[in-house]
Amino acid sequence: MIKIENLVKRYGDVVALDHFNLDVKEGEIFGLLGPNGSGKTTAINCMLALLKYDRGSIRIMGQEMAPDNYDVKRQIGIVMQDVAVFEELSVYENIDYFCSLYIKDKNRRKELVEEAIRFVGLEDYRKTYPKKLSGGLLRRLNIACGIAHKPKLIILDEPTVAVDPQSRNKILEGICELNRQGSTIIYTSHYMEEVEQICTRIAVMDHGRSIAVGTKEELKSMIKTGETVTIEAVILGADDLADLRNLPHVFDVKYEDQRLIVRCTGAKNNLINILSCLQEKDIPFGRVFSELPTLNDVFLEITGKQLRD
Amino acid sequence: MRELIKYSFLAKIRDLSLVFWPLVFPLVLTTAMYFSIGQMEESDFETIHAAIVTQSAGEEDVFQEYLEMMGDDKEASINVRPMAEEEAVTALENGDIDGIFYSGEEPSLTVGGKGLAQSILQMILESYTEGKQTLEDVSELHPEGMEAAIRQMSDYGSVTEDVSLGGRTTNTTAQFFYALIGMACLYGCFIGYQSAMDLQANLSALAARRCVSPVHRMQWILSETAVSFGLHFFNMIVLLAYMKYILRLQLESSYAQMLPVVIIGSMIGVTMGMFITSIGKMGEGVKIGIMISVSMVMSFLAGLMNADIKNAVDRNIPLLNRINPAALISDAMYCLNVYDAPVRFMQDIAILSVMCVLLLAGTFLIVRRERYGSI
Repeated sequence: MIKIENLVKRYGDVVALDHFNLDVKEGEIFGLLGPNGSGKTTAINCMLALLKYDRGSIRIMGQEMAPDNYDVKRQIGIVMQDVAVFEELSVYENIDYFCSLYIKDKNRRKELVEEAIRFVGLEDYRKTYPKKLSGGLLRRLNIACGIAHKPKLIILDEPTVAVDPQSRNKILEGICELNRQGSTIIYTSHYMEEVEQICTRIAVMDHGRSIAVGTKEELKSMIKTGETVTIEAVILGADDLADLRNLPHVFDVKYEDQRLIVRCTGAKNNLINILSCLQEKDIPFGRVFSELPTLNDVFLEITGKQLRD
Repeated sequence: MRELIKYSFLAKIRDLSLVFWPLVFPLVLTTAMYFSIGQMEESDFETIHAAIVTQSAGEEDVFQEYLEMMGDDKEASINVRPMAEEEAVTALENGDIDGIFYSGEEPSLTVGGKGLAQSILQMILESYTEGKQTLEDVSELHPEGMEAAIRQMSDYGSVTEDVSLGGRTTNTTAQFFYALIGMACLYGCFIGYQSAMDLQANLSALAARRCVSPVHRMQWILSETAVSFGLHFFNMIVLLAYMKYILRLQLESSYAQMLPVVIIGSMIGVTMGMFITSIGKMGEGVKIGIMISVSMVMSFLAGLMNADIKNAVDRNIPLLNRINPAALISDAMYCLNVYDAPVRFMQDIAILSVMCVLLLAGTFLIVRRERYGSI
């Protein structure tokens, strides 16, 4: 569906995209995950032929993407990071307007607009103007304007920024539904939970490069961390920490403010081994958590920094 | 294309700032100027009130008749009422009247202060006294010419009339309103500003969304320009109609003659806004500030605040007013309605047309971009 090869984009001396590669297959929900400034939106704008780039090639649906490639553009729906609607047009008029850019037949368009309104749950706000809508409803309108014409490829650039949890869930469910209806989705976000929840494949971006690509399981299997055990309210000495480091499968121990974080490779009984060690030394402890690796761990291990740094 | 035009039009007429600056503001300014200039003119011809106190029977009729005759003259606006002396003095003290005429052998005048009204009353008395003296001299020296002398003195017909070179009566205040039409044309820049914001993907998210749709770039530019220009042209027609039919200002030429000025003026206003908005990477506030400054300075030089400014520029830096669209629009309107100078009018139209084409071409070269260096 989309193939990007060696894309380079510079803003003066700043390299926004550094030999960026991407291969999105039809029917996927493909996540572009990365911190702010990692190049996600720049990559999207290059894909849409809005931005000039210095090197590389972008092919969408087998065709070279260009500003005048209207055949391809007709099959793309875009949901911008910033809400992009007319303040002076009602909810219905906004969706009808953007749909009219793709669909000429009036009756067909009417059906599609109604469908989009139902899809995002704005039935009660047809005649409402955007400034009267809450942040969540406004985001839903933004989505409706991008998907009303039923495009084959939908690009959503951080559609859930500043959205309440209820609207966020509604939006994420909607994206999965669009995918079930046959659309290929590209979803950019810096919220790893969202990407984990809905994306079938994920590209992790940093400094304009795609540093890892795969399913979430594949990405997690790339890293050493198999389990992270956190123990609160525990008082440890240097000998205790050394003993913990010597436990099987443990490869990283951090202790700060009476909080112990132990990273282990994927194996059974990590938690039991750690707790047994503490019990043998008669060390009291507070709450205990055991977590499987997240995409944040993937990002942390590859880049050495947190996803939200 | 129909939907592009329909929704672009709806969005613009519902945008309060696009209705206020290009339409409401010029209407309000026209009304304010109309009333302030009207009051200035009225104050020059305020009715003068005076009393006449009769002191002896003989002179009463002649002097009082003379004053009544002055009162009948609408341009003079003098109201003289017969009063008893005490009543007249009280009225003078209260400021109800400006002076008291005393009829008699030697008519006299008492005034309560100094000013234009008192001077006019003094002139009336002197005029009567001189006329009386002249007639007495004629009756004594040339009694046979008495009838002719009375006839000649009664003839107060005006010997001068203000006319323009084109044969129409001039009106100095008209220049304010013609400059205001120039300003209103340039205020189309606010509509042009919004159009550019909605066209350029590097200026707004809305424009970026529009740019990724399968609509040809030229269609966007044409529909936006057509709607913006059409809307502002309508604004200008409303303003002209308001001036001509509601305020009854001196717009003597037909709409057919004024339309080319307004059409080109509206186009210049809209494209100026698009051009300023499209260039550079300044903030929105800076761009709006530039637009307002440019429009107001041009209108000021065209005589919006003081008609003498335009004349002074014409005398000292004539080139400035030949490249100032507001001055050219004002001048073209003046040519049509006052000068009746078709050559100069055609020159104005030609220069405005060249400006319009240059602005359109410049704007088109900028907004036709399809890919941007940064967004």
